[in-house]
Amino acid sequence: MYLKSVSRLAQGMAAATLALGIATTGAMAESVTIVLDTEPDQMDPCQTAKSQVGKVNRQNIVETLTEIDPVDGSISPRLATSWEQVDDLTWRFVLRDDVTFHDGSPFTAEAVAFSLERTMVEDLACETAIKYFTGFEIEANVINDFTIDFVTSVPMPIVPTLFSTLAIMGTATPIDAITRDPIGTGPFVLSEWLPGQRIVLEAFDGYWGEAPVVTSATYIWRTDSAVRAAMVATGEADIAPTIAVQDATDPAMDFSYVNGETTSFRIDALVAPLDDIRVRRALNHAIDREAMMGTILSENVIIANQLVVPGINGHNPDLTPFDYDPDLARQLLDEARADGVDVDTEIVLIGRYNIYPGSEEVIQAMLAMYQDVGFNVTLKMTDAAEWYEIVFKPFAEDRAPNVFQTMHDNSKGDAVFTIASKYRSDSNQSTTDSPELDALIDRAIAATGDERRDTFQEAFRMIHEDLVTDVDLFHMVGFTRVNPRLDFQPSIATNSELQLAQIAFN
Amino acid sequence: MLTFIFRRLVQAAIALFALLSVVFVLARLTGNPTNLYLPIEATRETRERFAEARRFNDPLHEQFLRFIGDALRLDFGESVFQARPALTVALEAFPVTLWLALCTMCLAAILSVLIGALAAYRPNGIFDRVAGVVTLIGASIPDFWLALVAILFFAVSLGWVPTSGLGGPLSWILPVSVLLVRPLGVLTQVVRSSMIGALSSPYVKTARAKGASPRRVVFVHALRNALLPAVTVAGDLIAGFLNGAVVVETIFGWPGIGNVMMGAIRQRDFAVIQACIVVVAVAVFVVNILVDLSYSRLDPRIRSRQA
Repeated sequence: MYLKSVSRLAQGMAAATLALGIATTGAMAESVTIVLDTEPDQMDPCQTAKSQVGKVNRQNIVETLTEIDPVDGSISPRLATSWEQVDDLTWRFVLRDDVTFHDGSPFTAEAVAFSLERTMVEDLACETAIKYFTGFEIEANVINDFTIDFVTSVPMPIVPTLFSTLAIMGTATPIDAITRDPIGTGPFVLSEWLPGQRIVLEAFDGYWGEAPVVTSATYIWRTDSAVRAAMVATGEADIAPTIAVQDATDPAMDFSYVNGETTSFRIDALVAPLDDIRVRRALNHAIDREAMMGTILSENVIIANQLVVPGINGHNPDLTPFDYDPDLARQLLDEARADGVDVDTEIVLIGRYNIYPGSEEVIQAMLAMYQDVGFNVTLKMTDAAEWYEIVFKPFAEDRAPNVFQTMHDNSKGDAVFTIASKYRSDSNQSTTDSPELDALIDRAIAATGDERRDTFQEAFRMIHEDLVTDVDLFHMVGFTRVNPRLDFQPSIATNSELQLAQIAFN
Repeated sequence: MLTFIFRRLVQAAIALFALLSVVFVLARLTGNPTNLYLPIEATRETRERFAEARRFNDPLHEQFLRFIGDALRLDFGESVFQARPALTVALEAFPVTLWLALCTMCLAAILSVLIGALAAYRPNGIFDRVAGVVTLIGASIPDFWLALVAILFFAVSLGWVPTSGLGGPLSWILPVSVLLVRPLGVLTQVVRSSMIGALSSPYVKTARAKGASPRRVVFVHALRNALLPAVTVAGDLIAGFLNGAVVVETIFGWPGIGNVMMGAIRQRDFAVIQACIVVVAVAVFVVNILVDLSYSRLDPRIRSRQA
């Protein structure tokens, strides 16, 4: 009797769920639900370089003048139709003349100039400005409604690349405050933002380009990767852009892709005994990278020899990884010891909780490998706030020699976004002071075309082979779960943007 | 009665001030949100300007006086990360937590009284033993594990309820059930043991002697006297829930105050931390007043003392 009523209750509930499902399927045919790992704090166009903002906003609500191809790093037009370098310091962009903003105002050179001006407002602390428009001055000169010149204070061959990061916003955007109501030109408008619960984008009728197949997108967020994966499995969501490797269990739904992130350890080469190159080589030869693949990390990660992934302009494909050779590591240490280097000084291996999934297991494994070859290492784990105290200059005068866990993301097509802040001796994170490397970096930054690529490649070779300031580990992979009803291919760009217009239905 | 509430109000204000002072200092001990807000590429000058503009570098006492002055005008400042008033953030999240706590506690109260009373009626009987083991498991099971297993079983395998999220009535079933397990276990144990005490007291023997039915003896005579400890524990549990059922809110993606507060602490978003503390403290104060008032409803001796 009791069992009967329970089973009847279960049947009733299943029927109710089914009915709900049927009732909503019709309306959901062209709408998608995307489950993120965290709610975006903001939606301001000038913050789209923050990946959680960019995933919702960039190229959906707001657009850029140019766009970078995620596979080969080439640049294509978006709101600009063409561009040319007028002289060393000046670039001229011709704009589309058939574009309107979501508020009805026309897209003109004025709006582009306004967007640049607002993004550079210091008090707004815009991520785009801080990440990409630092170290030089840039000014916009409106030539006519659809032509604009950008004048930089130093030669800037990557201006077209830079404008793939600058979101264009309507002139009604407040210039002195962060806004939660972005005015863009993109194929979607922000129609609802219920903080804590969901963000809804609806297709924009007046879009200049081809109308996307998706007409509406709902963004929700769950902290737990297992829940995000389960939501796509049950059909509650269509895309979970990031799930953990242990939840990517269904090859039919789970895509892995190189996500632009590279993990490594920064060696503090300014402090003894790490200022001896034999010790730094020993740190590299002591690590069995292959043993971590398919065990504590995904089997799809790629062993790295530099901080940028293949496809980024300046990536050097000819570098070879340090062999795992504990005997050689011991021998290098012995040689250094014989020359009077105090190789038995305690070295601190500094890690950061949750810097990437599996990061704690990686550092534990490295600790054991270092101890195995005779390094005197201790482990220190930090949280994000403590980690930031160590990563930047000025470094503490009395610091212990350290090997420091880092994660770097560059999916922006050019090595300059990596090399300038990580390796130039006056940058805020560099642990080298090589004038040769500085000169090479300066030459690369000013160069164009093949010369730019070759010079960056030479810089990466110097860092990897002559300076050895890092223990390079892996180019990481991300996992995205996609509902089979969708035709969508995640790419290196999925970390920072997710273009709804690229989604089709099967 | 009014003097009683007034006295409690003064006590609460003093406690709130002390709490806020401690939170204010502790939150700032570990630095400010500058590094967490700005990208790693930001130069030292940019970081300094950012901190300066938001006055993170002012002496602590100046920041505190400014905060108290603003708080008295109910201005808790802006969230650095969300760029909107911190009080709005806290007040938006609080009702979700409140409803979750109320639903859970109502169910826990009803079920624990039923189970606890029945278990106490025949101590060491079959029902008592089964209830004892089950509630003990309930009181000690880790809720994050239970939540994930419940999602995998009821939402993914059986498909009866949605995995997570705040929506229609079905979406309440899993979070409330998971949240219910622990307080139900604790409360049942409390009700059971105080019922066993009450059932062996002289007035219960009298009631039995005069021929009252077993049901009347348990639910009318004994229960009312056994409820006081249960109300105290329930009050404590509610106060705990009002801080946010962090684990359940996080896993099920419910936008409650526990979730908001944890995020704010991680980001060092001081204004939001402070606004949340105030909102929660006020709620806990109200709960405590209600618990005190219910004592006097339940126990005439306390009523006469308060008067």
